[in-house]
Amino acid sequence: MKKLISKIFGTQQSGIIMVILLLGVVLTIFSGSHPDRATGAQVNNFLNQYTLMQTATDASFFAIMAIGATIVIISGGIDLSVGSIYAFAGVISAMVLRAMGPMDSVPTLLTALTLCVGIGLACGLANGLMIVGLRVHPFIITLGTMWIFRGIAFVASKAESILIPDCLTGFTKATFGLGTLYPVPMLIMIASTVIGAIYLSKTVMGRHVYAIGGNADASRYSGLKVGRITTGVYVVSGLTAGIAAFVGTTYYGSASCADATGYELYVIASAVVGGTSLSGGKGSAISAMFGAVLIILIRQSIRTLHLDQNYEWIIIGLAIIIAVVLDQINARLTSRRLLKSVAEKQNIETIKSK
Amino acid sequence: MEEEMKKLLTGILAAGMLAWATGAFSEDAKKADVPGKKKLSIAMVAKSSTNPVFLSARTGAEAAARDLSAKYGIDVKIDWRTPPTEDGQVQAQRIAQAVNEGADAILLSCSDAGKVNGAINDAVGRGVPVMTFDSDAPQSKRFAMYGVDDVKAGEQLMAELAKQIDGKGKVAILAGNQNAPNLKKRCEGVIKEAKKYPGITIVGTFNHVETPQDAAAEVVRVMNAYPDITAWAMVGGWPLFTKTLLADLNPDKVKVAAIDALPAQLPYIEKGIAPILLAQPTYNWGYVSVEKIVDRMCLNKEVPVMNDMQLVPVTKDNLGTWARQLKAWGMDVQEEYLKLEK
Repeated sequence: MKKLISKIFGTQQSGIIMVILLLGVVLTIFSGSHPDRATGAQVNNFLNQYTLMQTATDASFFAIMAIGATIVIISGGIDLSVGSIYAFAGVISAMVLRAMGPMDSVPTLLTALTLCVGIGLACGLANGLMIVGLRVHPFIITLGTMWIFRGIAFVASKAESILIPDCLTGFTKATFGLGTLYPVPMLIMIASTVIGAIYLSKTVMGRHVYAIGGNADASRYSGLKVGRITTGVYVVSGLTAGIAAFVGTTYYGSASCADATGYELYVIASAVVGGTSLSGGKGSAISAMFGAVLIILIRQSIRTLHLDQNYEWIIIGLAIIIAVVLDQINARLTSRRLLKSVAEKQNIETIKSK
Repeated sequence: MEEEMKKLLTGILAAGMLAWATGAFSEDAKKADVPGKKKLSIAMVAKSSTNPVFLSARTGAEAAARDLSAKYGIDVKIDWRTPPTEDGQVQAQRIAQAVNEGADAILLSCSDAGKVNGAINDAVGRGVPVMTFDSDAPQSKRFAMYGVDDVKAGEQLMAELAKQIDGKGKVAILAGNQNAPNLKKRCEGVIKEAKKYPGITIVGTFNHVETPQDAAAEVVRVMNAYPDITAWAMVGGWPLFTKTLLADLNPDKVKVAAIDALPAQLPYIEKGIAPILLAQPTYNWGYVSVEKIVDRMCLNKEVPVMNDMQLVPVTKDNLGTWARQLKAWGMDVQEEYLKLEK
């Protein structure tokens, strides 16, 4: 048990998990309660199945995109266009589905998924090719495509909010016998996080991303194809935006060109709060997911604790800074602990060899 | 004599006690006469907490909560959950959160009806009735809507503007958020009515972020691009919350008619730039809607699905009266307008 606890506290995510748990405890204690509509029993306003699931659902749209954003930031880049890719993929998918007319559930689902993912990939590829081909800083290229993708969505949809077939909402809002709880967005978020974590830590491609983010020149001299890897990370970012668009559009039942406006900043904040270094070379998909959960939790706490809503942006800004500082303190303490234990080991080995 | 006085005093005292008791009991009886819920927490989700019209709706809702609590002896509370900027997805999340935290009813103005239909239906499914105001979600299971008939409002706006420009000229439409269904309908109404005037040409419909500065900047940009514009039909009065257009628009060349007439917008009437503003009693969005929710949930009264709000034309002729009305609704109004006779 002691080993397990020390293992948990020794992980990269321990700082942010602590912050989330601490906030959870504060919310549980101070949120108050209300009588359950069915049974009349008192229910904690925060610690109930609906609120916890809703928190995970709200975080899932940011978290899925944050995994892609994390991979981009680890490589030393930035992607400001994810919110616009989300809106673009959602709008075009909804328009195509409307044009195709009623179909069976499975073809409808596959069409929507293929379109969202395909458009996300295409947008990501366009970003990557322009960044590498034109040798322009990713901030500029993705700032430009942020407006272009949303603009195309605006022109194509004529700013209309397009409803999508009910069977798609039925898929994302499947309850699996859990009453009115909808776990699908959370499950997709967890699956995306696991795949992202495996990609980054267990594959050669993932290690290449860390390498170019740590030192692009050294990576180039050691034979890595930096241009190809850079293009690849923007494709992954586009892909995650496409998946998030599929989940978001089908969950809320409509798509419009204004969807996910400003979400790129929340997504980048999720990655950074999760410990991803903006200078590249450091970060993890799991931390990005926790970062998204923390940001949603902070947003939610303002209402759960009945704080004045006018202070929302100030509180979120301060909380992000505090979370990052706490995470950095924890990282420093962990590295000091590791150094100390390595030094102790070396001392023991030196004494033994003597 | 002393005995008689004693009897008289006792009689008066007894009568007083009886009157007090009867009064108290009748008051209690009146308060106990509420057949439905005795405690009501209404989550209010408007479009944006940075838009002054929704702040006045909040003031109205809170006033109604106070008045109705006192009148019926019930405990009505307004739980303000409006996002800082317009976002249908965030509205849907806030509806779900309010339901999870025990709200008894939801009062909503939809930024994007398509996005909130699911959340409304989920709330209703979990026993929480939803009422909309200002901007409706007609395909959802909401029980009622309070607001203007938007197509008619657009028609009325264009008709009033046409009077100001003698039925001829180039008119631009300022349209706000392109996703808000109510604003789209108002624009439809403006265009429909404009067709009745052969001398009027619609230059275009211009969308913008619904903040006063963005709206004012859009008007200036459009005026630079189309210098021959002679009138603006503003389906919402966003740019009139700034003072920019007081200097940038020449009342001899350009006339404005807009929906909304809140305190900051009144100088535009006085200067003749906006000879007429069609006021939405936005305070009533909150006040009347809360009354309807209490009617349904506490008093078990029938509430019609559509509850029309009438626009109030405000001109120089009734500027003082309107300013005093705004003041009575708890708004800060410039003293000079309050002193006006009419």
